[in-house]
Amino acid sequence: MTTYLLSILQGLLVTIGVALGALVVAAILGLAGAAAKLSPYKPLNWLGDIYSTVIRGVPDLVWMLLLYFGGQILVNDIAEALGFRRGPQINPFVAGVLTIGFVYGAYMTETFRGAIMSVPKGQSEAGWAFGMSRFYTFRRMVLPQMVRFALPSFTNNWLVLLKATALVSVIGLADITNLAKQAGAAARGQIPGAAIIFMAFAGVLYLLISSISLYLLRKAEQRYSVGVKRGNF
Amino acid sequence: MKYALFSLGLIGAASLVACGKSEPPAAPAAPAEAPAAAAAPAPAPSQWPELRVAIDPTYKPFTYKTDAGEPAGFDVDIAKALCDELKSKCVFVEQAWDGMIPGLQAKKYDAIISSMSITEERKQAVDFTGKYYNTPSCVVVKTALNLGAEAAAFKGKKLGVLKASTQEKYAMGELKAAGATIVPYDAQDQVYLDIKSGRLDGTVADVVEVNGGFLSTPDGKDYSCAGGRIPVEFDAKYFGAGAGVAIRKEDTALRDALDAGIKAIRDNGKWKELADKHVPGVDIWGS
Repeated sequence: MTTYLLSILQGLLVTIGVALGALVVAAILGLAGAAAKLSPYKPLNWLGDIYSTVIRGVPDLVWMLLLYFGGQILVNDIAEALGFRRGPQINPFVAGVLTIGFVYGAYMTETFRGAIMSVPKGQSEAGWAFGMSRFYTFRRMVLPQMVRFALPSFTNNWLVLLKATALVSVIGLADITNLAKQAGAAARGQIPGAAIIFMAFAGVLYLLISSISLYLLRKAEQRYSVGVKRGNF
Repeated sequence: MKYALFSLGLIGAASLVACGKSEPPAAPAAPAEAPAAAAAPAPAPSQWPELRVAIDPTYKPFTYKTDAGEPAGFDVDIAKALCDELKSKCVFVEQAWDGMIPGLQAKKYDAIISSMSITEERKQAVDFTGKYYNTPSCVVVKTALNLGAEAAAFKGKKLGVLKASTQEKYAMGELKAAGATIVPYDAQDQVYLDIKSGRLDGTVADVVEVNGGFLSTPDGKDYSCAGGRIPVEFDAKYFGAGAGVAIRKEDTALRDALDAGIKAIRDNGKWKELADKHVPGVDIWGS
């Protein structure tokens, strides 16, 4: 029993690794996407629109399978055309991080776009009036102020992303869900109700990660709301 | 200065609890493998120095992982025996069931040895060796009823089956016509729970599955396979040809070698030794 629980615990590192890696990718893509959608240049608008529409319109699982298996077949075909026997193998960890990051980048795009639009236009205009460049104004005036508006939705996205990492089981990564499933199957007949016990344990681990991150994010929200008066009636 | 701090704070917020964690590599960095000379048939010691075998270790006693994390089970031992026959080194690759065939096509591995039933539908995508086992199915009801295996015996009985299984096909095709009520379930474990709660009289299931999942547990002590197993004459119509090794369609040489390997371990007693070790007391070669 304990050995199985410990083995599931090992999946914690994989899950956290994939989740944080994907979050970094998603945050970068989200900022880029939001910038593109708000840009005065039409082609960039379209690019941002295509990104957030196409990605959000297709299930995560489909993207995962498409990138990991479809991508691998493509890599193989290219490698074989070049005379190699077998293409380089797409690493499942990298595939998981990139896919989940790519998908949640689209949700982050909308989060950041909304947050940027919540910063009063006058703030940017003040920056421009002082002769700051567009980018400089964004970095020093808009960015620091949008964090407060972005955090609630960012928190939401992070929680969904965290649970979406369970999809990497499909591509063979030993994350919490995968290991719990395997432990449940292996202990069948030895431990009564093994499948349910190990899945419940996996659930507790996810709850633990999300509770800790909720606590940290609430702290961050408080910090970024310093100097903002809460509405009262 | 203050703004710089704010900007840094945003980066901090973006990566949030990421402090101190190393980021994963940003690009698929696996180096290209050198084109091996073994691509064409060669009189080398082995044509397949390494055989990458996919397993989904969630199907005890055929494929599972020990608590030490080692792959084990009948499938795994058969794979090792076949690798010995091919003078290859077995490398096990874990793959969830959903992605089994796509992974084979994407050359993540060279063979699937994971209790995959040979079906016409799968044959459109991959190729199979002959069977390396074929477990019978049976109708499980209370031992005290003392029923035989023929369909007519189950008139008026309420039986649970796993949706989209070969057992469901048999139950719908034969037992329902004989007057039994068939209830499909999403998972075999739910069937066992409903037998326990009295909603069902029994189930139609794979003999090995039902032994491990129900008959050998305290809940199943009053139950047994009626008449041992479903009559052999229904095998071809409902239950297919058993489990085989799946390979890519173009790998005909590998398929032939594996078929020869299966024949060899059948002949030299290795197969029987492994079957007795993992699934004692049941004939899993089938008819």
